[in-house]
Amino acid sequence: MPPTKQARTPQSISLKGSCDVVTEFFKYSVNTILFHRGVYPSDDFHMVKKYGQTVLVTQDLALENYLDRILKQVNKWLLTGSVTQLVVAIIARDTRITLERWVFNVTVHESQSNENSQTKPKPEAEFQSEIRRILKQIVSSETFLPNFEDPTVFNILAYTKDSADVPAEEWVDTDPLAIEAGKSQQVKLRSFSTDVHRIEAMVAYRYEE
Amino acid sequence: MASTRTTTTTKHQNPKTPVRIRAPLTPSLTAGFNALSLGGSPTKRRTHVQDLAGNPFLSSRPSSPVKQATNGFVVTAELQRQAGQGVIRRGGFESRMEVVKLDYFPDVQPKPSPRRAKSMTRLGPDDRFLPRARGLDDSDIAAAPMKPFHPDGSPRHVARLAEAVGIPLNQRVLKYHEAPPMPSADKDLSQQRLHARALYQRPNGTTSSTGAVTNKTRKIPTQPERVLDAPGMADDFYLNLISWSSTNILAVALSESTYVWRADTGAVTQMADTPEGTYVASVSFSNDGMFLAIGLGNGDVELWDVESGTKLRTMTGHEAQVACMSWNGHIVSSGCGDGSIWHHDVRVARHKVCELLGHAGEVCGLEWRSDGDYLASGGNDNVVNVWDGRVGDGGYSEEPVMTKRTHTAAVKGVSWCPWQPSLLATGGGTSDATLHIWNVTTGARIHSVQTAAQITSVRFAPHKKEIFTTHGYPTNSLMVHAYPTMERVAEIRDAHDARVLFSQMSPQGDVVCTGAGDENLKFWRLWEVPKKRKEKSHRTLTGESILKLR
Repeated sequence: MPPTKQARTPQSISLKGSCDVVTEFFKYSVNTILFHRGVYPSDDFHMVKKYGQTVLVTQDLALENYLDRILKQVNKWLLTGSVTQLVVAIIARDTRITLERWVFNVTVHESQSNENSQTKPKPEAEFQSEIRRILKQIVSSETFLPNFEDPTVFNILAYTKDSADVPAEEWVDTDPLAIEAGKSQQVKLRSFSTDVHRIEAMVAYRYEE
Repeated sequence: MASTRTTTTTKHQNPKTPVRIRAPLTPSLTAGFNALSLGGSPTKRRTHVQDLAGNPFLSSRPSSPVKQATNGFVVTAELQRQAGQGVIRRGGFESRMEVVKLDYFPDVQPKPSPRRAKSMTRLGPDDRFLPRARGLDDSDIAAAPMKPFHPDGSPRHVARLAEAVGIPLNQRVLKYHEAPPMPSADKDLSQQRLHARALYQRPNGTTSSTGAVTNKTRKIPTQPERVLDAPGMADDFYLNLISWSSTNILAVALSESTYVWRADTGAVTQMADTPEGTYVASVSFSNDGMFLAIGLGNGDVELWDVESGTKLRTMTGHEAQVACMSWNGHIVSSGCGDGSIWHHDVRVARHKVCELLGHAGEVCGLEWRSDGDYLASGGNDNVVNVWDGRVGDGGYSEEPVMTKRTHTAAVKGVSWCPWQPSLLATGGGTSDATLHIWNVTTGARIHSVQTAAQITSVRFAPHKKEIFTTHGYPTNSLMVHAYPTMERVAEIRDAHDARVLFSQMSPQGDVVCTGAGDENLKFWRLWEVPKKRKEKSHRTLTGESILKLR
């Protein structure tokens, strides 16, 4: 009995830790997207040292709080394993046309407890460098993504399982803000994985001849 | 959403109401049918209802609709066919209602779920009435995964699309109830940022206590090398009162008298006095430095021998003061207050060989190109003219080869480039304060620089690709501009106590003499004379130097 208990404890810690890592990653990627895609004015952002590189993070209090509230809920969903996808959609402010969708697929490793105990935990430096590479890729995506001429807004969508606990009045069902298949180009970005989660990033953007 | 649900409930309460569907189906299905029967074309409605009513399975409905949910619902071949063919036609009634249930049937058997608050979970996978992102009224309700995203999206297209964007069937798409905050696009704030940016930017150079601004790469002395007193020097923008000869003699006109200062020895001699009642308006040495032309306020041009200090002749004819002169060989050109430019041949008795009429105002600046091909003139009428230097057999000309009216003030500074013959620099007066560089060959304006104050003279540096300008109010500065970047290399503010009016380049090209209304002459060593090249470099390419390299 004691050994199983011991085995469970590190796993639960790694789950929580992994959720925090994913949440934090999501925070910085959203900030990076918002900065580099020009959704918010660039002087609203300040540089923060993170993952061994500088990341631009918003200073706009309203936006900060907004992201915090979302990420808090995302973290809860991650803990229960009920979120499967997170999407940052960039929408034209006036026409409400979805211009870009930054998709982060969240998958939970199907690992049995005994298997997990055998495999070594992934060192932090490893997934940090993976995260760093994704963030760099988001920045460099600027090179092929079309320019926005009109002001844009963003929206964060969470794809959850049926069974997910959804705080009433805070999260509402929505249309997926998809881009028509014929006008959409998709680029898969890198992925990273912790012991528990695997995040796959992708960007789909509206591309019209 | 609310209205749909309300109808559903009503249906449950009165299953026997004379509706075509007598049996209440699963709540979700009923909702769909209710939506169908809410309005629209009656024929369409009948078709669908008949199809469904004709399904034997539906008539033997389960007793407990809630428990069973969609368990008992079988996708009939008919329905599948309809779905496959895309029953929901574009623009049809169904598509308008956006009821798309017939298009999609889940393979999985959804578990029976108790009723919950709508915000908690859904009743079944096909009970997904989701508000659109900006849906405001109930008519805008659509099932998200199968919603036509585009007006001409057919169901199959939508299905493909749904697959393409990876919209899951057993999942919910959620968003936070609030829209993200708008960027703080405060107009005033952005304006302030714009203005404040200049304060944060590193200046080109730091302002020193002497008011001198110098580039890091190039240091120029901010103090004059020498100061000469010039009492009685007129503070008049239109005059040209100093001239520096190729023999290193500086002529300075102080009201009625002209003095000669030999730069080599420092000896000063008074050379000429004007006749009674007039004054010296301009002085100019001939190119060889042997003769000095003195333009007078009454329009006469006197010719003096520098060595002997004697007057050789007086050339009369101009009606107004001669404020600028330039030499080309034996021709001295004089710019007059009435706007005419005369070429005087100093060798012949009938000295006036040509008259150039191209200015409506006083001629302020006049300079021959060193090869004598062109004469550039700037006038008080803000015009820059370039004249063909070939002097015809007398008469006059009204046709300059180039006329520029870009300046917005009197053009006094006119200078030809010594190292690129097609370049002409001109500088405008107070309300213009702009330095323009022209290509005379093409007539194009190559560069323009806005300066802080009126430009009183312009000189090209002979040994460096730089342009020197003197300025009047309010900076009273000397400036050196780089060419062709037009960057400010250096600025000496308040070089004189009054506006800097005149400048002359030493024959060696290293020192500039400036004169101003403060009755001082100041000498500034701005450039270095390059060391004489070794003889080898003068040799032709076939010479020894190349052979040695091999």
